[in-house]
Order: sequence, then C-alpha cells, then structure tokens
Amino acid sequence: MNRIQESMEKIQASKELRQTTLQYLETQRSRKNRFNRSPFPRLILAAACLFLILGTGGYSVYRIPVSYISIDVNPSIELGINRFGRVVSAEAYNKDGQDIIKHVALKNIPYLLAIERLMQDEKYQRFLSRDAQPVLTIVSDRTDTIIEELNTDEFLQKYGTQTYTSDTVCMKEAHMHEMSFGKYRAYLELSEYDQNVTVEDCHRMTMGEIQNRIDRCRLNHTGGNKNGHRGHHGNASGH
Amino acid sequence: MKSAEELNRVMDTYADMVRRICFVHLKNRHDTEDVFQNVYMKYMLYESDFADSEHEKAWFVRVTINACTDWLRYLSRRKWVSLEMIAEEQAALDDTSAEVMEVVLRLPEKYRNVIYLFYYEGYSAVEIAGILGRKENTVYTWLSRAKEILREKLGGEWA
Repeated sequence: MNRIQESMEKIQASKELRQTTLQYLETQRSRKNRFNRSPFPRLILAAACLFLILGTGGYSVYRIPVSYISIDVNPSIELGINRFGRVVSAEAYNKDGQDIIKHVALKNIPYLLAIERLMQDEKYQRFLSRDAQPVLTIVSDRTDTIIEELNTDEFLQKYGTQTYTSDTVCMKEAHMHEMSFGKYRAYLELSEYDQNVTVEDCHRMTMGEIQNRIDRCRLNHTGGNKNGHRGHHGNASGH
Repeated sequence: MKSAEELNRVMDTYADMVRRICFVHLKNRHDTEDVFQNVYMKYMLYESDFADSEHEKAWFVRVTINACTDWLRYLSRRKWVSLEMIAEEQAALDDTSAEVMEVVLRLPEKYRNVIYLFYYEGYSAVEIAGILGRKENTVYTWLSRAKEILREKLGGEWA
C-alpha cells in the first residue's frame, strides 16, 4: 500500500454524515411525492405565480428571446435567451441534439448554467470526450457582454470552447436549411475556401469535421477570414 | 427516482469514496456535507440504469468531482483549497499522513484528481482519461508532473 493509500484510508464518511444525508434524501423524496400528488400541477402553480407577480405584460417580456446561442459539437442546440439572461427556448437541429434536450432541463435558468448543465450531461459528455471542441455562436445586440461572460467562464475554459458571432440574416438562412446557425456559420466559412462544399455535405458532417476542414484550408490560404458578418472571438481555453 | 434500498446500498458502497474526493477538493466539513448530499441527491433523481458496477462507480467519481468544482466556483472562484480540512481530520490523521495529505492538497486541482484516482482508486491513466473526459496524453502529463512535485516535497518512495 502506498503512502497516499495509507493516508487516504483514514478519511472516511462518518456515520453521522451518512445518516444526515439519508434523512435529507428521504425528506426531499416525501416533498417531491407530496408535490406530485398535489391537485395543482407544478407548471400551473408556477404560471399562476408568474402572472400574479408580473402580469401578462411582464410574462410576455420574460418569454421573448432577445439573444441566441448556438452550441455545436455534434449535437446542434440553440438556446433562446430573454433580456434577463435566462433561457426561454431550446431547439435541437439534429438527432443527437434532440436526444439530449429530451432529458436535460435547460429552460428558465441562467444561460451559463444551462450550457454547463448541458455539458455535464452524461450523453453529451460522450461527444466531448472524443476531443471535440464545443463551438458557441452568438446572435445578440449585446454580443460583447455575452462573449466576455463565455470566455471568462472557468467551466467552459476546461473544454477550450470556441466563440463566434453571427447575425439574424444568417440565422434565418440556417433555419431554412434546418441547420443551427452555429453550424451554418461554419459552413459559410468553409464554403469561402471550398466552393464545392454544399449545405447537405455539412449536414452529414460533425462540427469537428467541418472545423478540421476549415483548419486544413486555412493552412493552404493566407489572409484568413475577413468577412464582416461573422467573426471569431477566440477560445476560452485556459491551458 | 431511486428507492430507499438503492440509496442505502450506494451509501454503503461509495460514501467513503465521495467523502475522500470532497476532502481532496473542499475547504471544510460544511462544504463537504453540502456537496456530499448534493451528489446523493443527483443519484436519487438519476433516471437511467448503469451498465455495471464499474460504470456506476465512475459515475459517482465524475459527479462528485464536478459537484466539488461547481461548489468552489460558485462560492468564491478560488482555485486552491485551504488546509482547514487537515485540521478537522487531525484525530484521524497521524503526522506522516497529515504531511502527505498537505502536499496532496497543495497540488493544483487537476493534479489532485489524477493522483487520487490513480493512487487510491487504482484507475489506469486510460480509465482516468475516460472519467475526466480528457486526452490520455494529458492525463499522463498531469500524473508525471504531480509525481515530480510529490517527489520533490516528500522524497522517500517518490524519489
């Protein structure tokens, strides 16, 4: 037994910690069961409170997205964010994304927390563990603030997340092609280097594959991407 | 939602391991209690089944590390833990163990994880890469740098 094993062996969960935790879990379980049996389903209750507090006008303001973040690894997921920085819509643009948003609750929480929750999901982690870098693309009138928050988030730094911006015109075009605007931005960039690539080609490619082709093309070109309607805003890698 | 029997079983099986990972990351007993409960709460609400016991154990390791990291980030964004934990565990740790633990706790977070998983849980570098979602080469580098620091500080078997 090595010295770390010997020393660690002495650190144990006390009986008290175990008991307190089990009691806490039982309390939480009964609360959940009681709530589930309640004649007022959770959503109705939440909606009623929201209407009482904010009124219908306030609720309309709450549910309207003013910014969008497209998160692409292979799952392509777009989050709609209201003026309070909370996620009010989550749309998937491929099957991998649909599988994920079925079971990860992303709405009504701050967008950074939603992105973290997404990346911590076990199914999502499988895509990240293939050394794929997540790409975040933003459409917003407060792009600078969002990019700064994303690029300084320590959790995202761990994954070397790349951030880009796009605009509403590209977003509409992307949705006409049933593609997330993040992946569509990557397609547009790739198409500047390779005139033969099509949207359909990119539909079949993962974001990592598109990024790799862009990187290869960049090596063969000089001058880089000067297109004004989308831009690269660095990555959040801290390593 | 997981049953009370399942909770009792995983409490018996993983409580010490979860506690040790918390020890490696967190500042004090209060933080540990919160994260410990949080991890088991996540298990209670976890709807999917595990393929086998190894899968279940790896899930606990990953969820605990993530919970500790989240906790520290939301509290104060500090990157280094203080050594209050050692004082709190003084009754259990003799001088040698306290010295080893102090050096381990002074390692950067990424090194603490790999050292714990490699030396205590006996995971291979390949398995650690899978659990932490990092490249194998990265894990090898972290292990090698962490060992260098341990060798420098502790000498003995690390030399």
